[in-house]
Amino acid sequence: MYPPRRCPKLEETNRSKRQRFLNKFTPYGFLSPYLIIYGVFGIFPVFFMVYLSFHMWNPVEGLGSMEFVGFENYVLGLTDPTLWQTMWNTLVMAVLSGVPQHLVALPMAYLLVMLGSRARHWFTTAYFLPYITSTVAVSMIFYVMYSKDSGIINAVLAQLADGSLTSWLFGGLKDVLPLGWVQENSLIRYSVSFVVWWKYVGFNIVIYTAGLATINPDLYEAATIDGANSWQRFTRVSLPLLKPFIFFGVTLTIIGNMNLFDEPYVLTVGGQFAQTAGKTISNYLYQIAWEWLDMGSAAAISWILFVVIGIFTGLYFWFFGRQGLGDE
Amino acid sequence: MTHAQATFIVNLYHKIGYGVRNIALLLFAFITIFPFVWSAILATKDRTTMFGGGIDFSLGDKLVSNYGNLLEIMDFWTGMMNSFSISVVGTAISLIFCSMAGYALAIYKFKGRNAIFGIMVASMMIPPVLTLIPYYMVINLLGLANTHLAVWLPFTIQPIGIFLMRQYTVTSVPKDLLEASKLDGASELRTYWSIVLPLLRPGLATLAIVQFVFLWNNFLQPLVVLNSPDKMVITQMLRGVQGVPNTPWGAVMLGTTISILPLIALYMTASKQMIAGLTSGAVK
Amino acid sequence: MKTQLKAGVAALSLMAATTFAADIRIDGFPDYDTQIEAIKGGLTEHNVTMLKNNHGDHHTKLKTNLATGSGAGDVVLIDVGFVGSFVNAGGFVDLSSQFGPMADNYADYAVAAGKGNDGKQYAVPVDLGPGVIYFRRDYMEDMGYDLNEVMTDWDTYIDYGRELKEKDILLIGNASAVANAYYRFNVGEGEGLYFDADGESLVTSERFVRAFELAKTIREEGLDGNISEWTEDWYAGFREGKFATQMSGAWLLGHLKNWIAPDNSGLWGVSHLPSGIYGTWGGSYLAIPKQASNPEAAWDLIEYMISEDIQMAGFENIAAFPAHTGTYDDPAFEEPIEYLRGQKARLMFAEIAENIIPVTPMKGDLVAEDLVNVALDKVLNDGVSIEKALADAERQIKRRVR
Repeated sequence: MYPPRRCPKLEETNRSKRQRFLNKFTPYGFLSPYLIIYGVFGIFPVFFMVYLSFHMWNPVEGLGSMEFVGFENYVLGLTDPTLWQTMWNTLVMAVLSGVPQHLVALPMAYLLVMLGSRARHWFTTAYFLPYITSTVAVSMIFYVMYSKDSGIINAVLAQLADGSLTSWLFGGLKDVLPLGWVQENSLIRYSVSFVVWWKYVGFNIVIYTAGLATINPDLYEAATIDGANSWQRFTRVSLPLLKPFIFFGVTLTIIGNMNLFDEPYVLTVGGQFAQTAGKTISNYLYQIAWEWLDMGSAAAISWILFVVIGIFTGLYFWFFGRQGLGDE
Repeated sequence: MTHAQATFIVNLYHKIGYGVRNIALLLFAFITIFPFVWSAILATKDRTTMFGGGIDFSLGDKLVSNYGNLLEIMDFWTGMMNSFSISVVGTAISLIFCSMAGYALAIYKFKGRNAIFGIMVASMMIPPVLTLIPYYMVINLLGLANTHLAVWLPFTIQPIGIFLMRQYTVTSVPKDLLEASKLDGASELRTYWSIVLPLLRPGLATLAIVQFVFLWNNFLQPLVVLNSPDKMVITQMLRGVQGVPNTPWGAVMLGTTISILPLIALYMTASKQMIAGLTSGAVK
Repeated sequence: MKTQLKAGVAALSLMAATTFAADIRIDGFPDYDTQIEAIKGGLTEHNVTMLKNNHGDHHTKLKTNLATGSGAGDVVLIDVGFVGSFVNAGGFVDLSSQFGPMADNYADYAVAAGKGNDGKQYAVPVDLGPGVIYFRRDYMEDMGYDLNEVMTDWDTYIDYGRELKEKDILLIGNASAVANAYYRFNVGEGEGLYFDADGESLVTSERFVRAFELAKTIREEGLDGNISEWTEDWYAGFREGKFATQMSGAWLLGHLKNWIAPDNSGLWGVSHLPSGIYGTWGGSYLAIPKQASNPEAAWDLIEYMISEDIQMAGFENIAAFPAHTGTYDDPAFEEPIEYLRGQKARLMFAEIAENIIPVTPMKGDLVAEDLVNVALDKVLNDGVSIEKALADAERQIKRRVR
């Protein structure tokens, strides 16, 4: 491809020295944009939040008003029943929305790739729409659908409960309809989880489709010749080769869902109802920071949450990292 | 049972299987498209007909007046242009930065590799709620307040992008190809540019979508950084006119619908690149 | 008297006009952009631009600006919900000397709310939200009830609800509004809303217990629909006449008439709240951040915006109820309102605005407000006892308010 270089022997040693030096620094060179930009924009906020967590600070009083309180914010956070309640809410919603995301996205991506490029193109475009539609539109629409007296979901359920064919199955609902999907503490987690699931399935499908694109079609052919049916081709060829992408997708889901904020916030109208079961820890720490104006306390809770996410992510890396990161 | 009958039954099963599969795919497509179509329908109505009772899928006749209203209440196309330039520049540069970093983390063994990767993953875990104030302090200190640069530059090195590029490199860049390139005497940069980047194309297409959507929909940083109306981005403008009681919903829904179109167009382009990956990317 | 005051204002504006021309920015939320656009031509000496964000975003941005000491406009609009915590934060210019001489022209309670604990004026009122109860006239007539009879006190109000229930009509959309009105608008002299003068919590006091009891009675007897405000169900409730009363600010009228239930013209009326208490829903203030580059010019804009004519213009342009009490003599206040079957409602709004009792803002109000609402939600929706819910709330308030 490239013409072989002709180098006089004398220069060779110098060159190889320089080459070794260059080789050593190449990875840092490639990483330099990250290191520089992170150094400028990313590190200060971390130190600021650590500093803040040991202080009491009402932000509207300006930077000069911070008051050192030692570990008080951490003690206050760790002994706060609301913190643990919201942590639990977060965890439940993270699992309810996270697990089905991948269970649907994986086979769906496979199906779409098998369907051929045309169908795949149109279907993934459709599936990706929730991810790009703005939260405003999404929340407004779901809000209308979930609405208690005039919402379409309750209307359909009422039909089913009354219908002669379906009443044996849905008739029991009559006593509880209309359901307050976003008002009731018993329902809010499901309502929120559905929206989260709905929004991110498409995203995961796209990630997995891109991953499937890296798999050599010959491998499928070989498996077919060996007599594998399409389910077996999925489990034996696709899944193992997709591991790095599954690892990536699941890591994002763990971290993203534990930081869940928008959907519960919007569906409970900025935290107006179903606060016992529907408030996530991010909602809580937003409330403390921006509504109660107690930034120090919120910073301490941020770090508590950080540690919890760190433990989950760490365990996940510990168990699956070797395969997922593709390291030998 | 004769052979013909058996074949018939097997075929029948297959057909039913395909039917169920196609219905499931279409049903899911319906669920995902529905809100978008709905917002497009709402864009043709005004507030009285929008909340006029019940669920009504008919088109309204307010499209033109909504558009007029939209242009009156905000500098809509300025906002679109601002969002567009921020997202295009930010995405293009992040494709380079993220793929460089992801490539380095996937291919090279060097001191501090695990530490850097660890810090990167850890920085994804920090709850974003509180970083707004220190972010603004940095922007201010650098004199970047009220500039578009402040809104895209910090996001060109998003850990999620680097992580994705790293995973993509691991699966689709064969090491022997890199060795061969080196034996040919190509420099590291040249290897990255002419061997690695083309192989990463489907991954880059994916990242481009994710990054573009992020920059386009982002509003918190623009909110605190951008102070003059002519620099505002479209999300900020669309949010700006919403008060609970007084929102001109028809105009907002129209604006929202229009503002999603560039994202759909980009997705469809990028999606073609992923198909390209399906055929040409498999060189292993 | 009034002409004298007017002359005083004119003299002050002349003085103001002597300051140098400047570019000034006002940060605010809708619909004030409409108002600024309409009136800025009248303030010829300065070039005014407005930075508009929605209500929540605007306050988030403002908090960030105050925290970091930069980026805020020369004038900022502040919602009544935040003014209590902002006036004591030290980030705003003391306007006492400029505003003091004219303070008598504005609703007392609102002037008081703009003062810090040090007695200085850091924010000045620009619009108010005098609170009324909207009621369906036809329901009351059909059942032979007299308005005064219904609104005598909260018990007669609930009795009316029991009668309504016989006819499958709800008394109110959501019982929580009754509790809110009761504990907000029965604050004792010298008390804060949630804390007494010494900063001790009042959340378990009789005022809150009674408020919660009222709401609980309404909910348990099925007199409300558990319908949240500003939702699709709420709009439908108005349209379909599901409920007979609704408490809110004067500004709700415009929304009812324009889009929530335009067909119900002539069916609604407004009244004082039960047992004759005075309350308020909403209101906005103007203030100058210390970081403003042009505080003098900024004051010119504020003075202009709160001047009598412009206040009246705001009422007409965006239905911002004037804080300037001089406007209440304007003939427009005598106009019968067609939607309310010819009632001269604006006179009632004005009378309420002048009689609201000021409540001292306290440190911790924001925390207490949220926690009391959570307690109310638990009582009404989860069957927790009032004593336990309030005691829990008080314990958390004590932990959180440091």
